[in-house]
Amino acid sequence: MTTMEIKICFISNNWQTGVNRDRLEDKLTRSTRYLSAVSAARGLHKSALDVVERPAPEETVTSSFGRFIQSVQPRHLSPTVLQRSKRMVLDSIGVGLLGSTTDVFELALQHCQAHSMDFDDTWHPATHPSGAVLPALLAISDMLHNNSKPSGLDLLTAFSVGIEIQGRLMRFSNEAHNIPKRFHPPSVVGTLGSAAACARLLSLDRNQCSNALAIAASLAGAPMANAATQSKPLHIGNASRLGLEAALLASRGLEASPLVLDAVPGVAGFSAFYEDYAPHPIASLEEDEHSFLIETQDIAFKRFPAHLGMHWIADAAAVVHKSLVGLKGGSVSPNLVQDILLRVPLSKYINRPFPETEHQARHSFQFNACTALLDGEVTVQSFHPEALQRPELHALLSRVRVEHPHDNPANFNIMYGEVEVTLVSGDVLRGRCDTFYGHWRNPLSQESLQKKFRSNAGAVLSDERVERLIEAVEDLDRLDDCKPLLAQLQ
Amino acid sequence: MIKWENAKTKRWLNESSSHTQKGVTESFGAAVSCLSTSHLTDEVIRRSKRMILDTLGVGLLGTSTPVFNTVLQCSQRQQALENSKVWGRPGLSLPPQYAAFVNGVAVHSMDFDDTWHPATHPSGAVLPAVLALAETLPVKPSGLELLLAFNVGIEVQGRLLRFSKEAYNIPKRFHPPAVVGVMGSAAATAKLLGLPAAQSIAALAIACSSAGAPMANAATQTKPLHMGNAARGGLEASQLAFLGLEGNTQILDLESGFGAFYPDYVPHPLVEVTPSSHYRWVLEDQNIAQKRFPAHLGMHWVADAAIEARAKFLDKYPNADLSQINKITLRVPSSRYVDCPLPVSEHQARHSFQFNCCTALLDGEVTVESFSKSQMNRSALKEMLLKVQLENPHDNHSSFEKMYCEIAVETTQGETFSARCNTFYGHWRKPLSHEDLVRKFRANALNVLSADVVEGIIYTVDRLDTNQDCSMLWSYMHFNKHMMHKDERRYSALA
Repeated sequence: MTTMEIKICFISNNWQTGVNRDRLEDKLTRSTRYLSAVSAARGLHKSALDVVERPAPEETVTSSFGRFIQSVQPRHLSPTVLQRSKRMVLDSIGVGLLGSTTDVFELALQHCQAHSMDFDDTWHPATHPSGAVLPALLAISDMLHNNSKPSGLDLLTAFSVGIEIQGRLMRFSNEAHNIPKRFHPPSVVGTLGSAAACARLLSLDRNQCSNALAIAASLAGAPMANAATQSKPLHIGNASRLGLEAALLASRGLEASPLVLDAVPGVAGFSAFYEDYAPHPIASLEEDEHSFLIETQDIAFKRFPAHLGMHWIADAAAVVHKSLVGLKGGSVSPNLVQDILLRVPLSKYINRPFPETEHQARHSFQFNACTALLDGEVTVQSFHPEALQRPELHALLSRVRVEHPHDNPANFNIMYGEVEVTLVSGDVLRGRCDTFYGHWRNPLSQESLQKKFRSNAGAVLSDERVERLIEAVEDLDRLDDCKPLLAQLQ
Repeated sequence: MIKWENAKTKRWLNESSSHTQKGVTESFGAAVSCLSTSHLTDEVIRRSKRMILDTLGVGLLGTSTPVFNTVLQCSQRQQALENSKVWGRPGLSLPPQYAAFVNGVAVHSMDFDDTWHPATHPSGAVLPAVLALAETLPVKPSGLELLLAFNVGIEVQGRLLRFSKEAYNIPKRFHPPAVVGVMGSAAATAKLLGLPAAQSIAALAIACSSAGAPMANAATQTKPLHMGNAARGGLEASQLAFLGLEGNTQILDLESGFGAFYPDYVPHPLVEVTPSSHYRWVLEDQNIAQKRFPAHLGMHWVADAAIEARAKFLDKYPNADLSQINKITLRVPSSRYVDCPLPVSEHQARHSFQFNCCTALLDGEVTVESFSKSQMNRSALKEMLLKVQLENPHDNHSSFEKMYCEIAVETTQGETFSARCNTFYGHWRKPLSHEDLVRKFRANALNVLSADVVEGIIYTVDRLDTNQDCSMLWSYMHFNKHMMHKDERRYSALA
């Protein structure tokens, strides 16, 4: 068999049946192992005798996740969840298409073959959830035989599972609520989200789903130091790819820790990535207790390709730009400006006074403030080499000071951005932004979102294709099979 | 880009970097690119050859495991223009990073590979990657060049482990091969590719984003993947660096870089390497432990102590029935993940003080066979397991350098037989003799290869430093006496 045939063969086997493990022996083996595992979770050192005599097991956090992934059905998706997921799918495809024009994409493609420009969605607690999930799902759909492609609703269900799992995991730690310092969140929760989504699309049984999560945990975690470098986009790519690998390995029977999400004293599982970790099981779908997080916590879509924090400062600086242009008319001249004060949260990796590369510029309060001050907005073009090297920009950059007020924490739900410009004339102009347009509290309208998509996708695809993609995503929950979507992406 | 000379820039540069003289990352990049074959000492060469032989042997044995078969099947969808040989699978090749992956899994599949201090399994992350890469190079490296790349990979791991006190104890959060192993693989493959210092640094930075796997998956079937992924991730990182991808140039200096994996991270620059300088390798000062049976290193102390206690018991009562044992007390370091009173899977058994103790008491040894289903299911063994109690004395530290095991076996008659093991045979303080190391290799390799091929590998590794062409090494590893090459199968079908 050719490799293509091999891969389709085993994928479609799993698609149909999952793995049947009803043998009594296996059940006993699993329950005994489980008993020892539960006793470990209790933090008790049991002698062999005690372990054997244990009563019936309760559910662990890890197994509750496995059960959830396996049992979610399309009917569990509310209209809000459907609507928000479709917006996320559209936006992710758009930024992915635009990202295919970048150097790092070329490199990654050359090497093998979303996140290349930091243009993808951001959630609270902080991560970029869609970029880790969608590519893996599309890849699986691509691999499946033409007669067994998933329906649009199947795709959306798997997608929602991938997002939900990420949201649940991030709520296990207080540390996750702030701008990250140690591990880049997409590489931590994104990998498990991808594994969950793929496990769902492949219809794995609940043990396989748990194992997929556990295997993925061993592939998770990339340090923050590589954010703001050319390597950052690889974090999302790897999250997607490795989550898919984890699901495939689980479908083949590979097993990993049954307690990976639980807090076991002395042996770290998923908790290894956090200083404070307190997990909770996912509620049962049967008893109707569960609701998707995306329902109550919407997502932010970016208006320009930079770290989310830049959007506050850009909107604040744009206010000042408007006043300046109003005063004098025409463009803003740096000669007018004596001093620029930025009031922003304390976060080392987005505090860069003189960024030298486009990646650094996307992670620089100073750069984005000055760009918006000069131009009234920040766009895709603001990060092109010619724009990065403008003398007027550098003139402004050298006049920037930064303050970190105590009431401005590094948290995407609470932070604000303030720009205070002191003119040579002595006048002081201020701009403040508490909620930028695109934030979950002030979401992009459908028109704005589609406009962003057209601008991104239009860089790579014909206008006709772009419109058909918009239609395909809009109708995704009504498509019997997702071929129309996949066809447009080639 | 315009360079900034004003005072503000200088101030910012000083504040944002954690050094005023040469950075740690910079020193690693320089060392990796400057170390040459002339820096290899005789002792380092001797020790590396032992490590290579041992690793190849356990790797071959590992190709017979279910986990190896699982990862192999999953990897087979990958194909590239250039492929490298899979060990023990004649006719099967994979893109080099995937060959490194599956072969790395094989090495750690039974927990039979070498262990160092501070704790990690260094060779399994490096050798599969180096061999897979070497196979694809247009000009094959000489044996000495292979040894150099291998040692660069080991050295980087040793240096990195010394940047944290936490690294000196049995790990609790991240599995060390997944942390330092991938960095070692990146360094070794960067060396083999002849990358200049800046790209070596990039390889380390990119590899860092693939580092880290939680301990919870140790003692499960997934543990070997930590090794495979370390080998693969390091190789991929070098390939990406070679293509021009960049990461953080201060990756080893920053808490938010490699420091993310440790709560106490204090890095130091490596000494400067010049063509004529003498280089002091970590391997020279700190030897390696090689295992006598496939289980977590801690089990070896327990086994040796139990064997001694058993000998004392049988000495006094030559026809004694071991069911006369009433209670067994083990005094061992506190380590949750090797405390498993009733292991069910073979992975758990390899990580169970109790299991290894009872096996050694029953059989007088622990072997590869001890972890088979039939041996694990013995009723005598299961009964004995119920009699084991663990104690964690305060003076018994969770460190492979300091730990000991004390055993006290009480009989129904009220007699107690005790023994203590401070240093098991195979530990770096009491290394395996050359004969015993080769014997271990033969025993492992003969499961998969015919005798002549086995002797061929022993011969080739023994002369590695003088051999100009070592491509037979990966050719030898590609055999399997139980399987025909896929081409041979076709011919015999036609005959």
